[in-house]
Amino acid sequence: MRTLLDKANLTHMYVGMDLASAPLHTSLTLLELAAPEDSRQRLASLGLRVGTRFSLLQKTAGGGRVALVGGSRIALGSALLRQLRAEVAR
Amino acid sequence: MALTEQQPSRSLNLVVPSAPPSVKACCHTTTNGGAGPEAPAVALVGAPNTGKSTLFNALTGARVTMGNWPGTTVEVSRGVWKTTQSAASCTCEECTCDPGEKRLEITLIDLPGAYSLDPHSPDEALTRDLLVGGPVAERPDLCVVACDASRLANSLYMVSQLREQGISILVALTMLDVAAKRGTEIDIAALSQALGCPVVGIDPRRRAGLDALAGAVREALGEPAPAPRPVPATTDALERDDDRFGWIAAAVEAGTRAPDEQPRTWSDRVDRWVTAPVLGPLIFLAVMWAVFQITTAVAAPLQDLLDGLFAGPVSSGATWVLGAVGLDGTWVEGFVVNGLIAGVGMLLTFVPLMTLMFVLLALLEDSGYLARAAVVADRLMRSIGLPGRAFLPLIVGFGCNVPAISATRILPGARQRVLTALLVPFTSCTARLTVFVMLGSIFFGEYAGTAVFAMYVISIHLVVLAGLVLRRTLWRTMGTEPLIIDLPAYQVPTLRLTASVTWLRLKGFLQTASGIIVAAVAAVWLLQSIPVQAGQSFGAVPVEDSVYGVAAQAIAPVFAPAGFGSWETASTLAVGFVAKEAVISSWAQTYAVAEPDGGGPGALGTAVMNSFTESSGGHPIPAALAFMVFLLAYTPCVATVAAQWREIGPRWTLFGIGMQLVTAWVLAVAVFQVGRLFW
Repeated sequence: MRTLLDKANLTHMYVGMDLASAPLHTSLTLLELAAPEDSRQRLASLGLRVGTRFSLLQKTAGGGRVALVGGSRIALGSALLRQLRAEVAR
Repeated sequence: MALTEQQPSRSLNLVVPSAPPSVKACCHTTTNGGAGPEAPAVALVGAPNTGKSTLFNALTGARVTMGNWPGTTVEVSRGVWKTTQSAASCTCEECTCDPGEKRLEITLIDLPGAYSLDPHSPDEALTRDLLVGGPVAERPDLCVVACDASRLANSLYMVSQLREQGISILVALTMLDVAAKRGTEIDIAALSQALGCPVVGIDPRRRAGLDALAGAVREALGEPAPAPRPVPATTDALERDDDRFGWIAAAVEAGTRAPDEQPRTWSDRVDRWVTAPVLGPLIFLAVMWAVFQITTAVAAPLQDLLDGLFAGPVSSGATWVLGAVGLDGTWVEGFVVNGLIAGVGMLLTFVPLMTLMFVLLALLEDSGYLARAAVVADRLMRSIGLPGRAFLPLIVGFGCNVPAISATRILPGARQRVLTALLVPFTSCTARLTVFVMLGSIFFGEYAGTAVFAMYVISIHLVVLAGLVLRRTLWRTMGTEPLIIDLPAYQVPTLRLTASVTWLRLKGFLQTASGIIVAAVAAVWLLQSIPVQAGQSFGAVPVEDSVYGVAAQAIAPVFAPAGFGSWETASTLAVGFVAKEAVISSWAQTYAVAEPDGGGPGALGTAVMNSFTESSGGHPIPAALAFMVFLLAYTPCVATVAAQWREIGPRWTLFGIGMQLVTAWVLAVAVFQVGRLFW
């Protein structure tokens, strides 16, 4: 049982990465939005939804990132970065 | 609607920003009218930083009223948009109207910026309620949605929601020059057809395309509202969103052509430094320092000049004129010189300061830096539950609370604005500094600097503690939304826009504050002029025998636990409500009356020391400290109250006054009672 759980966790770990550890200047695809509903809606209205392709342009003061989403530059706070998971776009 | 009825070419039209495309316009859909109740109402909506308010200013000019929407703290601007159309530009067939028929005044309402109709703040909730919440008859006749062409997909979310409602909308496409620099080509006609509503390209910063917009609006007002966009029959929010984003993607695909790779822009290169982890905060502090310096050091000489002008030549001139008609030495002279001229003079001394503040705010907003400042200061301000932008008003508050209160309007949410406006008076302004320096030199000698510095430390702690307490009580439902900011492209501020916005804000301040400031100054003069004993004449009465002095004697015991329960000290606090620096002149005036031998500063210092020694039962130092703390925390000056009244309304202003009085009294008593154990 323990082995199975470990495998499951390992499998989960390999599903993308949070945005705090995502590389800059690389095309990414958003996989998961574990943010509160308000934040999800806000991000959606700015064009950042599950499946959206985007890239991170730079780190900001306070540990955030600037994301390039469909021509928009969106500053994301550090707390939010850990709630968003993405993978390198194929 | 003309644009949707046309069969646009599928080929892409390059849009030249300086010459936005014109649309077919018709002047027969309107009649003569004023912006009265019968005037059509057009709502201006759109996401923040799309140029919406710039467009509003460009369309309405100075014909604007700004204020909170009834029952809310959300500021909504309303203005008269006088649309005119020359006979040459009328394209309707067999036009027979004369120039007099071609005018239409429209009531233009600038609604708070919102990304969607899903409200996340009182501002957005108001926008939603006004657009789709109320009965159809109460909705605006037309909704103009400002959309940023350089990030079109993101701007169209609200359009997709509005198109589901079956209300008349028109898309005003801004930032076409930025889009063009990024290599994005926009086909206005194709976009219009895909969206099912008219689209007009404009450049509100340079006032280009506004005639075309006026024509399109006039035409749209004469058309019935379009049928709602068909949406899937589902209650699932995710499915609805999928449908909206599919519709937006199709519209963008049809109406734009963008390069596959987004080129690195000038803004990106600047942002590399301005929002960077180490350099960003340093640049931010430098900008804040510049703002602070300009609103204090640069404004101070201008304020002194005006102050001297009113206290000197204007007052002397008025005295001479009144003397010439036989009114010298009468209460009329006192009222005119010490009431009216002093009040108006005080109001006008704020004009240079407020003008500079509003110019700086306009420059920071228009350039796009303010959004970056919000990012850089976010983590620091978040610790007291405020967004990064709140840093600016709080910093400015250490110069003067009045422009700082006005600066709270840079905050995107109404609740954040109210909270910050309540915290600003706890910042120690330079007017209070003059009193601290004087008391420091009287009571603390060589440690005067330390005492003054302590006031600043206490001030910062008061802001943080009051912020934390309010955040955990009255503001506990205000969410701690994570930082999500749409960064607009940097732009070179335009002189016309800066001047226009500055004038609008200055006018608004003067309209609201003038009455309160002049009335308060006149009221203090009046109370000091009314005698309470027979045999004394109005306007020529010692302060302690006036209504003002007697009232001060009545409330003085309230301050006895804080060690400064003498009527002379209590009365200065009332004068300090008019202007904090007036505390010193009030003491000088009071002691000059009470002590015929008094006069110079040394004598004043001795008199103040004696008064505190007596009222504190031999503990003047803790009493002076308590007084300084009280002066720091209690009700700000009347000009600040007037600014609060304007920005957050009477209810929260009165709440703030009560909160500060209680805080100040409790702190002053605590300081004295603890201090007397040591000194």
